[in-house]
Amino acid sequence: MKENVFIIHRSEIVRKGLSLILQDYFKMEITQLNSAKDLNSFTGITNSSIILILEAQTEVNSKAVDLLKKNNDVYLVGFYNDDQVLEQNDSVDYQLNQFSSSMQIQKLIQIIRQAGAKKKNGNSDNGELTVREKEVIKLIALGLANKEIAEKLFISIHTVISHRKNITEKLGIKSISGLTVYAIMNNLLDIQDINPEELI
Amino acid sequence: MSSLIGANYNLLPVINRFGIRLGFKEKSINEVCTENKIHTDFFLAIVNTYTDESYFPEAELLSFSPLLIIEYLKNTHRYYIEYVLPKIERLLNKVIESCTEDCSSLKMINSFYQKYKAELLIHLKLEDEKVFPYIINLYKEKTLNSDGSSIEVLENEHTNVEVKLSDLKNLIIRHLSPNYEDNTMNEFLTALFQFENDLNDHARIEDHILIVQVMEFEKELGK
Repeated sequence: MKENVFIIHRSEIVRKGLSLILQDYFKMEITQLNSAKDLNSFTGITNSSIILILEAQTEVNSKAVDLLKKNNDVYLVGFYNDDQVLEQNDSVDYQLNQFSSSMQIQKLIQIIRQAGAKKKNGNSDNGELTVREKEVIKLIALGLANKEIAEKLFISIHTVISHRKNITEKLGIKSISGLTVYAIMNNLLDIQDINPEELI
Repeated sequence: MSSLIGANYNLLPVINRFGIRLGFKEKSINEVCTENKIHTDFFLAIVNTYTDESYFPEAELLSFSPLLIIEYLKNTHRYYIEYVLPKIERLLNKVIESCTEDCSSLKMINSFYQKYKAELLIHLKLEDEKVFPYIINLYKEKTLNSDGSSIEVLENEHTNVEVKLSDLKNLIIRHLSPNYEDNTMNEFLTALFQFENDLNDHARIEDHILIVQVMEFEKELGK
């Protein structure tokens, strides 16, 4: 999954310093913003893991954050000015302050990445296809179009498309002929009467 | 020149495409290029593209004649057709031969590969027979085609063939049951990975340099 990191802080020294530490150790895209308002121009991002490091006790721009959350995994990190122990704060997921060592900052990113990886595995059930997905892949292999598959399974085209997306994500196979090969290899098709080579 | 190859042996086929062969002694890159009548800056831009993925001097490369790029791309196509594809196919056949029981899945992989190869060949042929001649003619005549054809129409995207190659790798790595001899399969996969890298660099040169350059030229001519 693509990773986007935003550092939102009024202080240029903080922005540049943080991004230098992060860039040293992680290959990631870092966007530095002066104000959370500027997040509005990034709400079009999809399918990414987004880490927002925000100056604490300033306005969060929850509208933009909510929009981002719709299509992405968003992790909020509050950046505080002092190192006093803070009470659990519901508005952010993680905390950093200006005295955090670069080690602590790197560790935090690793924790976030692991959380992201866990979530992804949880969703995909170890890559096993569901019964419904198997039905869909079978019909794809037989050469049916989305609309025909929808009619046959009594579901909407939208649902077919979302099944296809999940199948491709789980299997790592995109092309129709690739999916056909997968279906034949896993005996999802009844191939007694047809020549499998013709399907590919 | 010899330290360049020492640093990245993947460049061996690349320099061959320029007509450069081994036995450099202590000659510099510039000397070797001059000897072989190669535009040194163009050569450097291409080898840098292969050596460092993030290096992409579009502005620099755009200053070369597209005819140079086409000649290079054509050589690359020939290298794929005459050497890489037959080699991959030979290795795949060896894998299939090494299978002792239940080889139907491998046979499906083979059919899929054949389909991929056929599509790739059509794509290369289209470029060799339609796209490149169109560009060469455009620069020679310096007028737009009267039938309104343009580079955008002629050059369809690479994505389809790229997707199939990635599918082929995933089918083998993730989904094929291992009824084959490991070393033979590793050789085959290694060849596929190398080919994929080479194709990516090749596609970058076409999409980001050649096509961009020609589109600019068409725009100028259209004025």
